[in-house]
Amino acid sequence: MAATDDAFEEIDFEDDDDLDDGAPERAKQDADAERTPSVVVDDVHVRYRVFGGRKRVSGPEMGRIRAMFNRSRRHVGAVTEVHAVRGVSFVAHHGESIGIIGRNGAGKSTLLRAIAGLMPTSSGAVYVAGTSSLLGVNAALVSSLTGERNVMIGGLALGLTPAQVRERFDDIVEFAGIGDFIDLPMKAYSSGMAARLRFAISTAAVPDVLMIDEALATGDAEFRERSAKKIEEIRGHAGTVFLVSHSMRSIERMCDRAIWIEQGQVVADGPAREITAEYRKATKKG
Amino acid sequence: MTSAERGGTAAGGPSELAQLAARSGLKKVGSRPGLPEYVRTLWARRHFLWVLSTSRSYSRNQNNYLGQLWSVLSPLTLAAVYYLVFGLLLDTRAGTTNYPGFLTIGVFIFMAIAASMTAGSTAVTSNITMVRALDFPRAVLPLSVALSEMLTLLPAIGVMIVIVLLTGEPITVTWLLLPVALVLILLFSAGCAMIAARVVVAARDLRNLIPVAIRLLRYVSGVFFSIEAYAGRFEWGFVLEYQPVAVYLTLMRSVLLQDVAVDPTMWLTGLAWAVVLFLVGFVVFWSAEEKYGRD
Ligand SMILES: Nc1ncnc2c1ncn2[C@@H]1O[C@H](COP(=O)(O)OP(=O)(O)O)[C@@H](O)[C@H]1O
Ligand SMILES: [Mg+2]
Repeated sequence: MAATDDAFEEIDFEDDDDLDDGAPERAKQDADAERTPSVVVDDVHVRYRVFGGRKRVSGPEMGRIRAMFNRSRRHVGAVTEVHAVRGVSFVAHHGESIGIIGRNGAGKSTLLRAIAGLMPTSSGAVYVAGTSSLLGVNAALVSSLTGERNVMIGGLALGLTPAQVRERFDDIVEFAGIGDFIDLPMKAYSSGMAARLRFAISTAAVPDVLMIDEALATGDAEFRERSAKKIEEIRGHAGTVFLVSHSMRSIERMCDRAIWIEQGQVVADGPAREITAEYRKATKKG
Repeated sequence: MTSAERGGTAAGGPSELAQLAARSGLKKVGSRPGLPEYVRTLWARRHFLWVLSTSRSYSRNQNNYLGQLWSVLSPLTLAAVYYLVFGLLLDTRAGTTNYPGFLTIGVFIFMAIAASMTAGSTAVTSNITMVRALDFPRAVLPLSVALSEMLTLLPAIGVMIVIVLLTGEPITVTWLLLPVALVLILLFSAGCAMIAARVVVAARDLRNLIPVAIRLLRYVSGVFFSIEAYAGRFEWGFVLEYQPVAVYLTLMRSVLLQDVAVDPTMWLTGLAWAVVLFLVGFVVFWSAEEKYGRD
């Protein structure tokens, strides 16, 4: 997941008109206070514990002995806490799709993990209506096993029963569009093919809250279009979608709201087009 | 999750957002389910547990030409090496009549239990990406370690039976107890794996002590010598005899070897160890359920 961070910064989406005119309309509904919340994030902080490294504490005024002591501390008992998310609060509603933007290391992935309940919060709380799932099924897949076997593993990992996976197997393979490669070990797949299969597996179980962390960047144009449709489908069922992407165009196309995060804190939260415009301006300058 | 609650109540009473969440009927994520609820979700995920275990033990031997044949070949070569060292060079045959059979059983069963403890200790820490990406009862991880070691043991049991037959043991009614012994061993190793996983998450330095503990266990469990013949000389020899690993080796031997009698006290001890360790391990592991995934 981390590897894709730098490699696919600005992937252009083909213009697709029927998706385009949906977004502003939904943004208007946003003002509607009557919509029911689906995710409430209340002052969440997340810290990682990191072993085997320590941030350098040094200054010009530090004495030789202190510096030496500090250096040796980097090798014994080196534990550092990384404060990745620092007090994020927001409310998401049913049928909303929210883009999360920010530089690498801003805390986007960590925030999604906390919302999915996969990363313990060190303070604050997250409340969710129904089931949530982070598009992270690749963690359970075994690259030395065939695609077919991995469909089963991934489906079960997402909480489906074997019968449900078998029932949806054809749809998954069809959606992934990888044909006969389904019988080969996944290590024989190109990164794009693997991404397609992963996306197909993860959306086989339709959750109430779906979180996508830069999973769409590797696909080709056809696949991106299919995934955009899938996202629309989930929103159509009153679901909520979170999308992390470095492509401002895909955020504008697929989301009606965007949250900009910097150093673990919310910088701006509002209609997607406004926020992405602000973000573009800020990143050009820096 | 005590600090989380503090965050909500610091201003006196739940925060505005918490009230909104409560009004809309949202559920708080990441809080630890109660024990019955936990057992229920674990049961619902039994297929996942099974698939994880089978693919783990299958993919282990998938990377070379002989493939799955290695699941039989590696225990076989290991038995030969041990026989050479302990049977012929060091000669620890005292107190046994069928030493090759005795040794094979000891080595194979001990290997499986030790592997469960070793892999169990890193069950959570080495699957951290999975813990951070998917929502499932975390006990699946140590349990699947124990189960996949048991699955890996099955071909070795086949080899073991062939060796035992070749050394002239007859097939008797006691062989029917073989599955029972295996189930007890599975429960015991699963308990050990859960405890080890929990301990290493809490204090990961202890992981480095596990190989030491296993080496110690290997020498005090009668893997390649008869405890009765050697430890009978000490007053506290019974401690060695009734410690769980030694008990399970004895149980397996009493099933397959004619000269080791089936002893009801031993079986009850084996049952008690299995049940106690499994239950304690399960509760200990569950008690930190919401904390896994932090580092
Ligand atoms: N597994 C990890 N262990 C320790 N620190 C981490 C880990 N993952 C991320 N971090 C830290 O948390 C911060 C936020 O990371 P992340 O959420 O991955 O950012 P983003 O997804 O926005 O690129 C970064 O400072 C990063 O160094
Ligand atoms: Mg990220």
